Amino acid sequence: MSITAPPTPQSTWTKEDAKASRKANRKLHRKEYIWAGAFMAAPVIGWLAFLLFPLAFSVYASLTNWNGLGNMVFIGLDNYVMLFQDPYFWRALWNTVFYMIGIPIGLALSLGLAMALSRRIPGRTFFRTVYYIPVISSLAAIAILWQWAYNGDFGLVNQFLSIFGIEGPNWLMDENWAKPALIIMAIWKGLGYSTILYLAAVQAVPRSLYEAAALDGAGGWRRFRTITLPMVRPVTFFLVVTNIIGGSMIFTEINIMTPTGGPNWSTASLVWYIWNKAFKNLQMGYATSMALVLGILVLIVTVIQFRMNKRNDFSIE
Amino acid sequence: MRRKGLTAAAVTVAGALLLAACSSDGSGGSASEDPDTSGGDSPNELTFMYRGSDADKAAYETAIAAFEEETGAEVTMIITDADQYATKLQAAIAGNKVPDVFYVEPGRIQGYVYADVIADLTEYVDQSVVDNLWDFGVDAYRFDKESGARGQDGDPFYALPKDVGPFGFGYNKALFDKYDLEYPSADEPLTFDQFLELAKALTQDSDGDGELDTWGTGLNVTWNSQAFIWGNGADWISEDQKTVTVDTPEFAEALQWFADLGLVEGVTPSAEQAQTLDTYQRWMAGEIGFFPVAPWDIATYTALEEKDPETFSYDVIPYPVANEGDDWSTWIGSLGIAVSENSANKELAAQLATYLSTDLEAQKTLAAGMIQIPTLKDYALGEWIETDAPAAGWPENTKVFLEIAEEKGRPLPGTWTYTPEWYDNFWIGIENVVDNGSQTAADYLAAKQPEMQSLLDQSWVSADQAKAAG
Repeated sequence: MSITAPPTPQSTWTKEDAKASRKANRKLHRKEYIWAGAFMAAPVIGWLAFLLFPLAFSVYASLTNWNGLGNMVFIGLDNYVMLFQDPYFWRALWNTVFYMIGIPIGLALSLGLAMALSRRIPGRTFFRTVYYIPVISSLAAIAILWQWAYNGDFGLVNQFLSIFGIEGPNWLMDENWAKPALIIMAIWKGLGYSTILYLAAVQAVPRSLYEAAALDGAGGWRRFRTITLPMVRPVTFFLVVTNIIGGSMIFTEINIMTPTGGPNWSTASLVWYIWNKAFKNLQMGYATSMALVLGILVLIVTVIQFRMNKRNDFSIE
Repeated sequence: MRRKGLTAAAVTVAGALLLAACSSDGSGGSASEDPDTSGGDSPNELTFMYRGSDADKAAYETAIAAFEEETGAEVTMIITDADQYATKLQAAIAGNKVPDVFYVEPGRIQGYVYADVIADLTEYVDQSVVDNLWDFGVDAYRFDKESGARGQDGDPFYALPKDVGPFGFGYNKALFDKYDLEYPSADEPLTFDQFLELAKALTQDSDGDGELDTWGTGLNVTWNSQAFIWGNGADWISEDQKTVTVDTPEFAEALQWFADLGLVEGVTPSAEQAQTLDTYQRWMAGEIGFFPVAPWDIATYTALEEKDPETFSYDVIPYPVANEGDDWSTWIGSLGIAVSENSANKELAAQLATYLSTDLEAQKTLAAGMIQIPTLKDYALGEWIETDAPAAGWPENTKVFLEIAEEKGRPLPGTWTYTPEWYDNFWIGIENVVDNGSQTAADYLAAKQPEMQSLLDQSWVSADQAKAAG
């Protein structure tokens, strides 16, 4: 008996086959790569064209003396030095920050309204529509209407106040009342949007949580504080972030209602000042530096908010 | 994790800013809706960008149709809202899409010339055409590139007037009749004292309820004080446009007198009632004796007069001056028609600008529509003032407007400088002088002068830099 080595299996997979397979794979992958590339290219090109390029251009423009018409002349950080010494920049920044007072007030009112509108009250669809109308209305048109409403003599606001024996101020001409007047208008304009978002959030809170809390003896206020408020916090966070960004860009209503910056410059916002510098006073380079500083300030505030939100984050298992 | 948070925040901010920038909320406008403002490419193609009312549009459509027929040109008209015009034009310039022909404000001339945006029209327009336009109408667009001087006769001009806007002064005849007062003269200006005396006589509680029903005047300091300041021999700026001159005794005296009309004399509605809109409404309601009157108001005022002449019936007079024999003046505005320096059809474009500025039929339409006084001197001083203006319903003393256009008009301070920021700064805090009287005019002006001077100096530096940068 002889022991022979087992026959080696005759492989049918030749080198040529492997080559062809690799080629086919490459072809297939190339196609996939092309498609993947195309899909990725759209946002990347968009990002480059609409974000990175304008941003880089703005950064460069902020380092130049440029009137927006002719050539740019590089002047280093001069615009930034001038900016920090410009008292009107700080006044406009202060006015802009002051306008933010309206954000918590608006959110509190929106949440209250959302809770009221989430109940089965008669005519709630009507009220939801009414509160949303200002959101879809033209801001310019609204600003003109409110300008009339705030008229010291004939305005609706003072006529309404006079019913209660209150002699209203000359809102837009009074240094102390011009900013609050604009805040009231901004709250009114944004109320519908915040209310709709809060409404969705309030209605998404599981009923079981309220029932369990009620069984444990929690009252209305405690249920609101410990269930509703935490459950709608993602919406609150979203609204605070977007309202601060939006509020920092307040312009249209100021330009229409107080075109010269209000009594004693009390209503001039930073974006209004930037616009004036850029388009009226031909200081596009300087205006760009202010716009970038505003952008950085908003970014810092947003980062702080993100961090604070993260610290207080929780989830229900 | 930290990096993720930072990235998320950055993306949120960038995204929101981008969305906000793209959104249209009235005054910003939407870029996607903007028409193409580029100049025409073919030898006979032109674009004309302008702003204005329907009446302007109608007048120009007819004029342009005639121009097209006469020259074989094809003109594309681009009309924008008045409040968006400057921003859109600047965007068109930045995007290198400058229209062939477009409106330009006198205060913008320097910037546009230094940046080679607008063409020198001197060689394209016949001297005879220039001679038949109001001096201010052409001087407003004259600019000496080398010295930076503006408005000097003989210097190159970079636009032709679409209009000239004399800011006149008027009185309510009905109110004068009511209180049995003699009408002021259209030829001789009142003195400040005479004006005040009349204003006091017009300020009355006519129904005896203890509340004032009519007032002598109700003037907005930002737009109405210039004539009174000039009428006292003061000015905001020196002739060479390099020194702010608001800290002179004459200026302080005039401004204090102006403020005291309300604060001390009580011949204007109280500060709380003194919003521009309010005094304007009160004037039209027949409650105010003296008020500014400009050509663009005529249609409204005339309609009001026809409706209720017992309450409102007006005419135009010169602005008061400090002393008898002093020269009176007021401000005059203008809007120009310029031609792009880079137009492919510059000569044809200059022809169109000239046509729009001087076409008799267009001028007749605009003047008949009570929008502006004619830009053409021969027509204005002849046929128009004698027959057309009275027929259209212009007031009896319309010649005062022509007097302003001819010699009494001065540009608003700030028009001749590279930027008007120094002049705009004057009004920040003026309420403390005229509304609540917490500051005297002298104190206010002493504090303002250095701030304004610094901005004026900066304006000159910017002008030099723009000139060097090109």
